[in-house]
Amino acid sequence: MKRNIHLIGNAHLDPIWLWRWQEGCGEVLQTFRSAVDRLNEYDDFIFTCSSAAYYKWVEDTDPALFAQIKELVKAGRWVPVNGWWIQPDCNMPSGESFARQALYSQLYYYEKFGRICKTGYNVDSFGHSRMLPQLIRKSGMKYYVMMRPDLTENPSVPSPLFWWHSPDGSNVLTYRIPNGYARDGVKSIDEAVEFMEDTALKCGSDVMLFYGVGNHGGGPTKGDIEHLISLKEKDGDTGIKFSSPDEYFETLVRSGIDAPVWEDDLQHHASGCYSATSLVKGLNRKAEAWLQSAEKWNTVVSKLFDRPARTAEFADAWRKVCFNQFHDILCGCSIMEAYDDVRDSEGYAMTVAAEAENNAFLTIAGRIDTWLDGVSDTVTCRERHHFHNEKYPRPVVVFNHNSFDAEVPVRTYHPSSKVVNSKNEEVLFQNVRSSRSNDSHKDTVFIAKVPALGYSLYWLYWCTDDSADEPTIDSDVFASDGGEITIGNGKLTVKFSKSNGAVSSIKSADGREFSGADNFCLPTVYNNEKPDTWAHGIFKFDEKLGDMNLKSIELVESGKLRSVVRTKHTYGNSIITQDFILSAGMDYIRVKAKAIWQEPLTILKIPFPVKGTDCISTYEVPAGFIKRPCNGEEEPALKWADISLDDNGRYGVTVLTDSKYSYSCPENELRLTAIRNSIFADHYSNRPPADFNYCDEGVQRFEYAVCPHTGDVDVCRAVRLGELFLNRPVAVPCGYQKGSLPPGMSFITVDVPDVLVTAVKFCEDGSGDAVIRARETSGKAVRAMIKCDMLEAAFYSDYYPLEIKTFRVDKDGYVTETDFLEDIPANA
Amino acid sequence: MKLPYILSPHLSRKSTFFPLDCKEAPEALFTTHAAAPDFKDFPLPLPSKKSDYTCSTVTDDGAVWTGASNGVTRACLSEKNKLDRVMFFSFERDLPDNDVRNICSDGNSVWVLTAKGVTHIELIMLTAEERADILLEETLRIVDRRGMVSQKHLAERGDLDSFLPHGHSDNDGGFTAVFASGEIFRYAVLKKEKGADHPDTLSAKEVAVRAVEAVLLLMYIHGRGDGFVARTYLCADEPVPDDGLFFRKQGGRATCLETSDSKARGIVGLTVDASSPVPERLAKLYKDLGYTDDDIIYKADTSSDEITLEFVMMWLWCRLMRDADPELTSLVIESAKNIVNHIIDNRFRLTDATGESTTWARWYPEYFVTEDGWDDACLNSAQMLMYLNAVMDMTGEEGRWQETKDYLLSLGYADLGPKHFDRHTAVCDAGDEDFIENIMYGDHMLATAAFYILCRTEKDENLLSTYRKAFSTWRFSIAREFNPTYDFPYLAACPGEELDMERIAVYFERSNISRLASEVSLVGRHDVPVKKYRAGYKESGYVLPPDERFISKVDRNPLQYKNEDSSGAMCVESCYYYTLAYWMGRFYGFIE
Repeated sequence: MKRNIHLIGNAHLDPIWLWRWQEGCGEVLQTFRSAVDRLNEYDDFIFTCSSAAYYKWVEDTDPALFAQIKELVKAGRWVPVNGWWIQPDCNMPSGESFARQALYSQLYYYEKFGRICKTGYNVDSFGHSRMLPQLIRKSGMKYYVMMRPDLTENPSVPSPLFWWHSPDGSNVLTYRIPNGYARDGVKSIDEAVEFMEDTALKCGSDVMLFYGVGNHGGGPTKGDIEHLISLKEKDGDTGIKFSSPDEYFETLVRSGIDAPVWEDDLQHHASGCYSATSLVKGLNRKAEAWLQSAEKWNTVVSKLFDRPARTAEFADAWRKVCFNQFHDILCGCSIMEAYDDVRDSEGYAMTVAAEAENNAFLTIAGRIDTWLDGVSDTVTCRERHHFHNEKYPRPVVVFNHNSFDAEVPVRTYHPSSKVVNSKNEEVLFQNVRSSRSNDSHKDTVFIAKVPALGYSLYWLYWCTDDSADEPTIDSDVFASDGGEITIGNGKLTVKFSKSNGAVSSIKSADGREFSGADNFCLPTVYNNEKPDTWAHGIFKFDEKLGDMNLKSIELVESGKLRSVVRTKHTYGNSIITQDFILSAGMDYIRVKAKAIWQEPLTILKIPFPVKGTDCISTYEVPAGFIKRPCNGEEEPALKWADISLDDNGRYGVTVLTDSKYSYSCPENELRLTAIRNSIFADHYSNRPPADFNYCDEGVQRFEYAVCPHTGDVDVCRAVRLGELFLNRPVAVPCGYQKGSLPPGMSFITVDVPDVLVTAVKFCEDGSGDAVIRARETSGKAVRAMIKCDMLEAAFYSDYYPLEIKTFRVDKDGYVTETDFLEDIPANA
Repeated sequence: MKLPYILSPHLSRKSTFFPLDCKEAPEALFTTHAAAPDFKDFPLPLPSKKSDYTCSTVTDDGAVWTGASNGVTRACLSEKNKLDRVMFFSFERDLPDNDVRNICSDGNSVWVLTAKGVTHIELIMLTAEERADILLEETLRIVDRRGMVSQKHLAERGDLDSFLPHGHSDNDGGFTAVFASGEIFRYAVLKKEKGADHPDTLSAKEVAVRAVEAVLLLMYIHGRGDGFVARTYLCADEPVPDDGLFFRKQGGRATCLETSDSKARGIVGLTVDASSPVPERLAKLYKDLGYTDDDIIYKADTSSDEITLEFVMMWLWCRLMRDADPELTSLVIESAKNIVNHIIDNRFRLTDATGESTTWARWYPEYFVTEDGWDDACLNSAQMLMYLNAVMDMTGEEGRWQETKDYLLSLGYADLGPKHFDRHTAVCDAGDEDFIENIMYGDHMLATAAFYILCRTEKDENLLSTYRKAFSTWRFSIAREFNPTYDFPYLAACPGEELDMERIAVYFERSNISRLASEVSLVGRHDVPVKKYRAGYKESGYVLPPDERFISKVDRNPLQYKNEDSSGAMCVESCYYYTLAYWMGRFYGFIE
């Protein structure tokens, strides 16, 4: 059978890279206009273009051009691909972010063009998580085109065509572009045609050839098109046709295609992208989490208290976050100025979240019955002051965003003499140093127990700043400062070396030692001279420059709720402060780090060495996890990574972070890549002398936590801890009122720990229906019950391993299981 | 996974229907309206919307029974088994209609008044084995038709005693073979536990032998003598349905009768040889009833389903009952050889009277590159290899079988199996359907049968690994059924695989004690999400316990949302649905 080369006319468009978005927008306009011209000139020519964000730009700035594009889409000449807002990085966005990428984009395509995209298309993205097949399918797409890693970077991946499977059972027919997405010019095209003829012959199926000026837009030129037309007319074993990815794949599946199977992720291309430019990483992580939680709370108050649903505002905010997940943005490899725009737009998104969330919290808090007889009789200013009421305790409502119960320390910005729960039972608290130097200098931290997506009421008694009030109840938290500093809480005992400031020992209650060497948590500096911002061609950052030097170590807090050890380390002109916090009842140590980093071309890693054999590392990936060999290669991951090994039984350490995405694990030492101070957009390290700006210079704040465990990694626990580490319960002071709500309440219940609810929102079609999204986290098939009284919904569902499910709940509580698109195209 | 999983006794439901003016029900059912329940803080999903519940009563065991416009709910949070805490009863298996007007307790039972009648619902505690026995008794009493066991139609809707003496199923051979396989396992279990001479063991043997004889008869009854297998047969006093190809035997020839199919193929009146004798041992199944060879009308155009399921039965017989009845063993082995020879002689197809392949028994490589055959190839290639492995295992001979196997392996037959999942996806993508929407559910049984035997008989480690890999590609759609009829063979074929035995046990714990067919629509169930697929097909978001879903043949999608496959209480299905899984699980030590 004669095979065809499908010619895919495209223009690779980076909306931000070596330019800011305003220039990117202009580039899109020019490219689209050019493509329309070419389509009008050449009847056979077909143009393929991704990224709903670009279409929206054109719609807003040039409606006439957009109208022409609509007609061309209708005629099948212009083919939108990739039902996502842009071509995102495919390792760092959360699973929920991918859902939003699809939701807002596919619905946009559906509204404007009457169709959704069939083919996922991330030709420039630097790596692809193993969960992509599911994320693509649930985005309403069937096929996938990618390019990186290429054949030399990962020759194990079948090429060019393979079936890609993810653990839930989703599979997509995937095409790895073997020779670039932007062929242009006669010579380059001729080479590509020759190569693709050979490829078609070898793989025995049709292939695709991508041509058109790219990166900064452009698209197929007249010369390229005319040259290809001339090639079409030549006889040969392989035919040539103008086509689109949709047509290519549909030709294959209609004709029957066997392709090899790939069940892993697709790595590595640019291993530095997961640690470059900490600013954008932290903003992305925070914005994703905040929007998720705020939208849940907005749904609660809208359903229960008739507050307006802010669906459109959330959509707008999410689109900003989605845009900033573009691979050259989130990967930290754009120019410095671009990150000013990123900061602003992420700030916009988070302001939407903050306002909605605050509105919801105060709406709920204001309806909880907090009335105390006589409280209105207070007359003095001092008595009426929120936290200085000397006669009456102050009500504080703690909100838990997560779909599981939480019991963790929370903070209010005032000192207390006593804290009780709604049953008037005393709870552990501690007055700790505040961040301010005004008014009182103490905040209260207390242990709050809050139900899933719910709240709990606590009462805080005021005290003077200098009082030494402590809870009267017992605590197993202890601390001592001798030859070593020791802190503990009954679950963990942690010792710190005074010689280098490292954690010299972490023992669980059963005596298991988790610290495997004398550099546990000791900040270590690595050389970053050679790698460019992407770290092209470099997959390990292991040239150690040295451990940081201990400047000071002290036990700065020791109370019934928690102990805090503060270390300060220096290296060159840089300093890092780490507060190691061990709180009552917690089986992990939380570390708050602040660095002032001034070392060009360096990497800061935090090591977690453990002793034993048969190491395996496990990393959180979007909506799932993956196991990896401990070979020292830099690995992308989300909120947690784990090393598990054998030493008289399996055990290990899970590390959580609030803002980092990169780890390595050479043998039995897991390392968190915390700072990577590259030059901005340093491409292949061509560095003419200049006074460079660096991605991570200046103040860097981040947090991490060390969670020891016996047995192999408990993924379900790791996921929950990771969520809780990011989505911490919030304490909201409220007033005294007679309210209808009880002192504690949960708005959602999930009956198994393995299933996590990631979204509770309103459907985008304005019907008033709600949407619940949940995912299985442990990698095993499970049945779960979700009960949500405010939606009058309670139902079971069966989950495949790591499956994401989206449920649409109508006003009577009847449930339809759908995909990320909320059944909107189907309903239409 | 801890094995064996211990099955505990469970409540089984029994509904007795009465007319609206019945005297048996308590007067209160008609005169005193039971108050609506308070489900405000009920912690579990409920089958009806809370506000739809209109009446309730509490039985002596503390259960709250409530009525709504879509059925009856029994809620009992103190039930030990989580699954039993909320049960749902609905049309047509439990109620004459779903519009519940009133409800009244009666000890641990209830009387329910609905728009169309009165129902007395009882719950009876039964062990899994007791269920098997009850179901078997029903099948033998009602479904058995000259040893064939598939289904029996009723003259009166829901009236088990009104079963019609006649009626065939397209898959009499296949379904009877599955039933027989269950009875072979039963015999093996009882023989081991109680001894060969125990009355229960002898009873099991008697049932197994009759079913095996009935299946073997289909391999001879056509009189062609060429290893062909009939789908089923009728006797002269049975009506011939307009459904397929039928041949009437007469004087050593068989003539194709007029049906839509035979007319369409232009073979009405075609005659073929029918002179080969039927072994007397098998012919007694109809001769003892007074029929002669000239009274026989056999059904042709047999599909691979029959051959595959019959091979399972024959292979199990040789493995587990070889010595129990040497004469029958000889017939089994002869039949297996005849079939395989037929298939090889006809270049990997079952050949009908026309000399052409039957519609669905095509294992030849040329078929596998056709549009239809490309997707089928993954299963059909495995079936063909299974027949060869099975016949070699049964006979201890290699020769022609091994040569053929080598030939097929050289054509890549073994490597086709693992391609099932992706090929089926491609077909679905081409048709803009989701994978689940385009499943032929009967294939689950066939794939399980083929790979079960392949994995149990294959000695080559590489091939075994390929077969196991291929078997696993079917689990995406099979595992979600939590059907031990499929899960236990998988476990036997792939030791070490993890299965959710608690979920699988529901199959035994919550199966009805009658196989009276029943429509059950899930539309309106508040606790069951409807799952919508790309091309519009709808399923339930999880598989319900067997006693809350429709009753039809086992090879249907148990997650159907709107019941589409059961024609309602107009027939009784065979018990193999339950008994094969139960006795196989006992045999392998998966359940106890």
